Amino acid sequence: MIGLNEFLLLSAALFCIGLYIVVAKRNAIQILIGVELMLNAAILNLVAFGKYDKINNGGQVFALFAIVLAAAVTAVALAIILNVYRQYKTIDPSKINKLGD
Amino acid sequence: MIPDQAHIAHIQTFHTVVAVVLPLLAAVINNFIPNKLKITGWISTIAILLSAAFAISVFAAVWNTTAVHTQQLWFTIGATKVYAGVWLNNLSVMMLALVPVIALPVHIYSMAYMKEDERFNRYFTYLSFFCFSMLALVVVDSTILLYAFWELVGFSSYLLIGFWFTRDKAVQANKKAFIMNRIGDVGLLSAVIILFAQYGTFDLVRLFGDNGLVSKSVIENGVWIAPAGQLPAVWQYVAFAGIFLGMAAKSAQFPLHTWLPDAMEGPTSVSALIHAATMVAAGVFLLGRAYPLFTPEELSVFAVIGCFTAFMAASIALTQNDLKRILAYSTISQLGFMVLAMGVGAYASSLFHLATHAFFKCLLFLVAGIVIHEMQHIKHENHLDIDPQNILYMGGLRKKLPLTFISAVIGSLALIGLLFTSGYLSKDGILIQAFEWAEGKAWYFQLVPAGALLTSLLTAFYVSRLIVKVFFGKFRLLNINPDIKLHISDGGWNYKMPLVLLALCSLFPLFSLHPWLYEHAWLYQGFLPANHLERMNVYHTLIPVGVNIFCVIVMYLAYAMYVKRNYVARQNGWLFRLSYNQWYIDAIYNKLFVKGALALSNLLYWFDRTVIDGIVNLLRSITGTLSSLAEWADRYVVNGIIYLITVLVRRTGNLVRLFQGGKLQYYMYSMLAVVLLVFIFKLLIS
Repeated sequence: MIGLNEFLLLSAALFCIGLYIVVAKRNAIQILIGVELMLNAAILNLVAFGKYDKINNGGQVFALFAIVLAAAVTAVALAIILNVYRQYKTIDPSKINKLGD
Repeated sequence: MIPDQAHIAHIQTFHTVVAVVLPLLAAVINNFIPNKLKITGWISTIAILLSAAFAISVFAAVWNTTAVHTQQLWFTIGATKVYAGVWLNNLSVMMLALVPVIALPVHIYSMAYMKEDERFNRYFTYLSFFCFSMLALVVVDSTILLYAFWELVGFSSYLLIGFWFTRDKAVQANKKAFIMNRIGDVGLLSAVIILFAQYGTFDLVRLFGDNGLVSKSVIENGVWIAPAGQLPAVWQYVAFAGIFLGMAAKSAQFPLHTWLPDAMEGPTSVSALIHAATMVAAGVFLLGRAYPLFTPEELSVFAVIGCFTAFMAASIALTQNDLKRILAYSTISQLGFMVLAMGVGAYASSLFHLATHAFFKCLLFLVAGIVIHEMQHIKHENHLDIDPQNILYMGGLRKKLPLTFISAVIGSLALIGLLFTSGYLSKDGILIQAFEWAEGKAWYFQLVPAGALLTSLLTAFYVSRLIVKVFFGKFRLLNINPDIKLHISDGGWNYKMPLVLLALCSLFPLFSLHPWLYEHAWLYQGFLPANHLERMNVYHTLIPVGVNIFCVIVMYLAYAMYVKRNYVARQNGWLFRLSYNQWYIDAIYNKLFVKGALALSNLLYWFDRTVIDGIVNLLRSITGTLSSLAEWADRYVVNGIIYLITVLVRRTGNLVRLFQGGKLQYYMYSMLAVVLLVFIFKLLIS
């Protein structure tokens, strides 16, 4: 039987992997993927806790909201990365150390 | 049209001011004339000639008429108005005429006497300035001005006495004269201040004039009562003592007389001027001005001191060998006579003697100048090592210097006071009145006329000794060196004219048409009070006759002693030594005051060196220690704190900079770390 603990453990694992990707990767797209993983870990938590609210299904609803928001955020982030690439000819965040026009 | 009184006063005042200012003008002009031009002598001489002419015209106009007193406001302090002006009465016009008349021959003489001196111009600058000071002193009408010119006379005499300032003795002499005169100046100044405190005025006329404030004040029960106020009587005595000190310093009376013999270091022409009419006369003049101030007891002090000074100086003059020094002591002695005369109430005789003495003493000094000049000539010509002023080297000069000899004899007879000279008229008057004064008084007052009488005999002796040693006998240098040739003479007109002029003035006709009755002298009569004593007692006949006879005997004695037997005094008797060493007064002053002052100053020097300097050094080392402490604190504490702060700031900055690497993922790390820290912290405290 899969209980709440397993969901939370999975979520924590997912979060840690996302975190690792965010801090370790040298590619902005990968970092974005890491962010998405962490986001999904949070959504998984929401869904898991939503089990205790069967009447309103607040967890599920909120998860849907979050997924939509994540999609929007990703779109914006990709647009930023695209612009950054145009500006710096790289998407390695450690090389992007100048603000400028 | 007859000019009114005010107009006459105005003219006389103007003439007086011109007479006074002319020598000053000459001094100022001379000061700017380069030393190569020798016209300064003429400038000064012409100035003093014109001054004499103006002075005589003032004298003729004012003598025995109403006194002229002109003044104008000088300055105002609070309610006190101080006036400056001139006061011409018989006393001041006599002095006003006397000073330039004596100074004129001295100026003429100086032109020749100082001809070779390289500072000829400065000499005449000083000489004119000296005459100016003295002329101004006698005519001013305020005690402040009197004091100012009193100081100036002292100062200019200082310049002249030390004229040959490269000689150490001259420097010592003028220093001595100056210090002695300063003592007198302090006295006069305190008298001026006390008189102002008592009477509230500096005006001499209001103080000492006829019916002046001083004559209206009395001393009763220890209080000195004046018309306007009163003071304890002791202040009157202090004022008297102040005037006495001033007089004693200027006129070389007993306690303060020692500067005068030393003042002989100046040029002889200066000695002639100082000792005749100018400087030394100032003291007697002051007594004449301030005469109403003195009480009978105070006058007795003058009589005693004058008599003592006269006797002491005469006794010293007996054994001196320096030509000028003998004359200097004779001056002191004669001044003693004048002060004595003031003291015994012979006011007129005192001033009369002042005038006659001025002429014959000036004459004698000019004679001495010629003799010394010629002796110096001999000394240089024969390369001798002698003191040109020592009378023991002289002798027999009457054949070589006939005019000088005759002048010297006339001057000496006048100094002795023999018949037909001016000195007879004035000096016997003093003697007679001294006897009249002592009559009916206690026995010790009899010592005063007796001392005066003895002094005149001593005078006869030392003057004869001087004349005999210088002019009679054989020229004594020939004993030492028989090859000496004498190329000497009386000198040019610059020498002869003053001698003749002064010699004529030393005879009786200038002062009295009657050769043996001093009461007939016009100068004497001009000073007589209205209630003077008539010729009424035996003294008036006995004393002149007796003195003259004795003087002649003494003179013959001297002549016999020194010419016929070539007498040499025993030099080991205590009387001789007392006289020769000038009564040891210089030595006593030296021991008492000079040594004392030196010891005191050494003590003060030691105090300064050890205590004051010690304290200063202590302070310095304390400050040094403190400052090095402060330096240490500054270096290690203050700087240390600042350094610590900078290190902390830098470390913090470095630390914080680590987080701001500009790399995105580091920010993530830091965020992660902060969140972890928060959680750990939360776990720890829960």
